[in-house]
Amino acid sequence: MLGFLLVVLLIPYLIAAYGLLFVKLRWGLRLFGAFIVATIGLLTAMFLVEAYPIIARDGVAVFLQTRWDPVRESYGVLQALTGTVLTSAVAMALAMPMALGVAVTINEILPARWRGVFGSLVDLTATMPTVIYGLWGLFVLGPTLQSLINTLARDTMTSPYTLFTAGVLLAIMITPYAAAVIREGYALVPKPVEEAIYAVGATRFEAVLIKLRYVRNYILGGFFLALGRAMGETVAVAMVVGGNFVRFTTNVFESGITVSSLIALQFPNAASYQYMVPALFAAALLLTLFGLAINAVAIYIIQRGQI
Amino acid sequence: MTVKRKVENITAERMVINWLGLGLFALLGVAAVVPLFLIIGDVYIKGIDAINRLGGLWVFLTELPPTPFDERGGIGPMLVGTLYMTALGALLGIAVGFPLGVYIGEMRREKFANVARAGVNVLVEFPTIVVGLFVYAVMSLAKENLNQYLLGPLSKVLSPLGGWITWFIGPLDGFNAYAGAAALSIIMIPYVALITASAYASIEQPLREAAYAIGGREFNALFVVLRKAVSRAVVTAALLGTAKIAGETAPLLFTAFGNTYYAPFTGPTAAASLWIWYAAQTPYDVQIASAYGAAAVLLTIILTIFIIARIRG
Repeated sequence: MLGFLLVVLLIPYLIAAYGLLFVKLRWGLRLFGAFIVATIGLLTAMFLVEAYPIIARDGVAVFLQTRWDPVRESYGVLQALTGTVLTSAVAMALAMPMALGVAVTINEILPARWRGVFGSLVDLTATMPTVIYGLWGLFVLGPTLQSLINTLARDTMTSPYTLFTAGVLLAIMITPYAAAVIREGYALVPKPVEEAIYAVGATRFEAVLIKLRYVRNYILGGFFLALGRAMGETVAVAMVVGGNFVRFTTNVFESGITVSSLIALQFPNAASYQYMVPALFAAALLLTLFGLAINAVAIYIIQRGQI
Repeated sequence: MTVKRKVENITAERMVINWLGLGLFALLGVAAVVPLFLIIGDVYIKGIDAINRLGGLWVFLTELPPTPFDERGGIGPMLVGTLYMTALGALLGIAVGFPLGVYIGEMRREKFANVARAGVNVLVEFPTIVVGLFVYAVMSLAKENLNQYLLGPLSKVLSPLGGWITWFIGPLDGFNAYAGAAALSIIMIPYVALITASAYASIEQPLREAAYAIGGREFNALFVVLRKAVSRAVVTAALLGTAKIAGETAPLLFTAFGNTYYAPFTGPTAAASLWIWYAAQTPYDVQIASAYGAAAVLLTIILTIFIIARIRG
């Protein structure tokens, strides 16, 4: 019955919202606002309901144990969680310097007419389908990284598909998101401040460093937004992470799993087990809560530090 | 004299650091976009070769995908599914995203508008797989009642129109194109809303007053007069959003599910991105080749939309 209400009320709701736009505009618009808030609320509630069986059975232990053994109906997502943290850490360490480089290159180094082109290229990096990144990671990046790392330090990377590969691929994918926020802040540095920096005799590079310090809130905000992307990215990561959900590992040069790729890889056969679907919804709930928390922090930082 | 020399030395040193530092930033900036060229090059080189090997462009765009034992094949059903779901998702995304953007852009003084803005900001960054899982959960709850009370009777009423209608309207399976389109639209809504909002927020106050003065009703002022001022930004947002959702895979995994045949949209539906995801992970050369071909086609669609958006914007 819940489902019936859900879908059958949705369509009249949208029609009513459009109708109200003509009759009483403000209330019509408010309905659209309510729609988006309700979607997020419903999403969280839905995951809580769907994940309830496993949380009732195991409590928080489902997030703290490492055994993922469907045959014994034992589900722990800790190794997926560790994988998410490790891949995100690798990705952020590589992406933040690149994002700063993009912001500085666009605003300081390139001549004015090349800025638009370069900016478009960065935006295109964000628009490219993630599955194409995955395809490239699978056949080009993975093998290349393996031979590169193994030349530097022999036999550290036994497989081309590891947490490290996923981290490098993620870094490429999330750089534009961090760069967009930093660029926005960088362009907002007031002209008098810039003039003051040059007036005391700073070189171009010193001026850049001072301006970056001036927009540090944007850099921090961009960091958290990109981190949110890195934690939630699914398809590309699932293709190159190695899909190892059996053995717990904290070595980035081994195959692993992340929370989102666990969902993508295990969901197709989840229906055959009693508690696997709830366990995967619990993982999704975890992703949702992370997403909410990280974005809240990012939005708070950016709004607090608005120039 | 000595003092002057010292100053000169420091200056030279600072200039060297200056150039090294700026060079490092430029290098990092360039490093961020180099992979883009590598990926596009890789996809087109291998993709065009694959399309030729699998029977040429026309065969590739229309025929069924190759089984592991085929020599030729294409991505016909995937292309149809992608276009259908993207079009529906984009329409729904604009239909909800645009008014929502007007709300959070124009009514900034309202408390609830700020709540909605926070919601949109959260949703735009949401993991896409979570959105897919959400639509899956709603669909599995709603499917039975929906078929029993609404779609079953409806398809009986519509049956005199001919068999083709069953391809579009009928009792739904757990996986179907409409669930896929719904998931895509949830991803597109915040995207369109945010750009619309910032475009409306950047309208100058005198222009807004003029619009209200001549527009009569508030609706006309907002949606007719002021829309013209921001239409360029909004169209660009819609195009970029469409390009984004055309390539999405994660939200379709549990909603459209994928298929290898031309099949009704009420059941599991194929999508190019889903085929790339599936075929790239098979051990068969011919299917991997078709994944590269599909990637080249998908990339062409997305690049076309992106370039149109950039030229207009």
